[in-house]
Amino acid sequence: MQILRETNLEGLKLAREIGREKVLEILSKKGLVGRGGAGFPVAKKWGLSLNTKAKERYVICNADEGEPGTFKDKFILKNNPETMIEGILIAAYVLNAKRCFIYLRGEYDYLRGELEEKIKEVLEKSKMKASIEIVRGAGAYICGEETAIIQSIMGYRGQAMYKPPFPVIKGLWGKPTVLNNVETLTNVPQALLYDDWNSDYRLFSISGDVEHPGVYEWKLGVKMSTILNTVKPKGKLKAMSFGCFGGIMPVDKNSEITTESVCKENCNHGAFSIIFIGNRNIVDICISIAKFYTYESCGKCTPCREGTIRLLNLLKKVKKCEATKQDLDTLKEFAEHIQETSLCGLGQSCGNHILTSLEHFKKDYEAGLK
Amino acid sequence: MSDKEKIILNVLQEAQDKKGYISENSLKEISLKYNVPISRLYGIVTFHTMLKTEKQGKHVIELCGSPSCVLNKSREIEKFLEKELEIEIGETTKNKMFSVYKTSCIGCCDEAPAMLINGKPYTKLTIKYVKQLINELKNANS
Repeated sequence: MQILRETNLEGLKLAREIGREKVLEILSKKGLVGRGGAGFPVAKKWGLSLNTKAKERYVICNADEGEPGTFKDKFILKNNPETMIEGILIAAYVLNAKRCFIYLRGEYDYLRGELEEKIKEVLEKSKMKASIEIVRGAGAYICGEETAIIQSIMGYRGQAMYKPPFPVIKGLWGKPTVLNNVETLTNVPQALLYDDWNSDYRLFSISGDVEHPGVYEWKLGVKMSTILNTVKPKGKLKAMSFGCFGGIMPVDKNSEITTESVCKENCNHGAFSIIFIGNRNIVDICISIAKFYTYESCGKCTPCREGTIRLLNLLKKVKKCEATKQDLDTLKEFAEHIQETSLCGLGQSCGNHILTSLEHFKKDYEAGLK
Repeated sequence: MSDKEKIILNVLQEAQDKKGYISENSLKEISLKYNVPISRLYGIVTFHTMLKTEKQGKHVIELCGSPSCVLNKSREIEKFLEKELEIEIGETTKNKMFSVYKTSCIGCCDEAPAMLINGKPYTKLTIKYVKQLINELKNANS
């Protein structure tokens, strides 16, 4: 796997030799984009921060991987943390940042001890005058969102804030702050160092009704048939869900997984997490996803705070076969309304599973009509 | 690192490490030491599901309720835990030995169903395995 290639601080060494401008040039030329879901070019993000006048800059490594069905950052944290730490140090060098953070989700706290040791080891070897502190997340999904993570580190409730200003211009304590996720930062030294580094590789988290769930590395554009041949479905597959926020749709063997191709406008691949679903009632799956959103809504925006509960209640009504046709229309209307009126990605995506499954698996809903 | 630079979330976590929950007294101490209003601290604590304001059982079990775990029969594990410990999800046993919660995804989807016991993951759960784990914890305390 490309992501497991070790760089042994050679990437950092090269960066210091060639200078920050050249680092940005290489990362831009090689096409390194963020792996957290938005796909923003790394060199552009770092450049924006660098062009903002400031006495201090910060780097945050987002290890708050909370999207259900996603576990690829954990895979890196366990198997190649040194390269990720080196990526943080390269960012610190380019941005002249003295204080860096790894926001580690509370559910991965058992990885903290080893990670702290690795940080110490790499920092000593690198002789960089920067610090890397682990911030101990405490079970809030929303803290994976860039403005929420910043609020959380600054000692406030981790609620999303309005953008602009973007964190890259005005982030932690009002200073330019670069936020990249674990997979992105691990790619940084690899992209700098290796000529054959390929920008198309992505980590996929595969789970659900398959024989071989796990983390895989495929290129963008991988055929669904290749994925299925590798992970071996347990019987006939009815659907697949891209994490929780990506939507539920039928499995098309001939489709290719790229950032744009499969989902159209109603869904988002995000971090390439696919939960395969066998012969199940889709409404039942939607209930488990809706519970997640109800639980994780931060409570700031009324449509999301109240709407996620209404969506869950309507789904429960369908499951109990107590729903009317009007309820299904309301479900759709609510899902769209919450998406249009919420501030952050959580609210904006909390109806995706309902909208997509209503489109593709209407029969499962109609079976729940009175 | 000076107190001013300390990350408050880490300070709260360290307080919880000591007692298993964050008491009102701990909040008052942190508030004074770090010059953060107690109302804001309370706001942070109640925002995070993993920070607790009440005394917890000796062993905190957090069962994953994400779709991958649900597909792999986590609901059966949930019912078993409630029956075995004679409590409902979200409660603590009378002898203060176990607290059981349901949690969002814990990133063990490829080894579902999964749960955390005192922060450590246990995966590929079956009723037999969970029963064994509970018995081991009960015996370790008797």
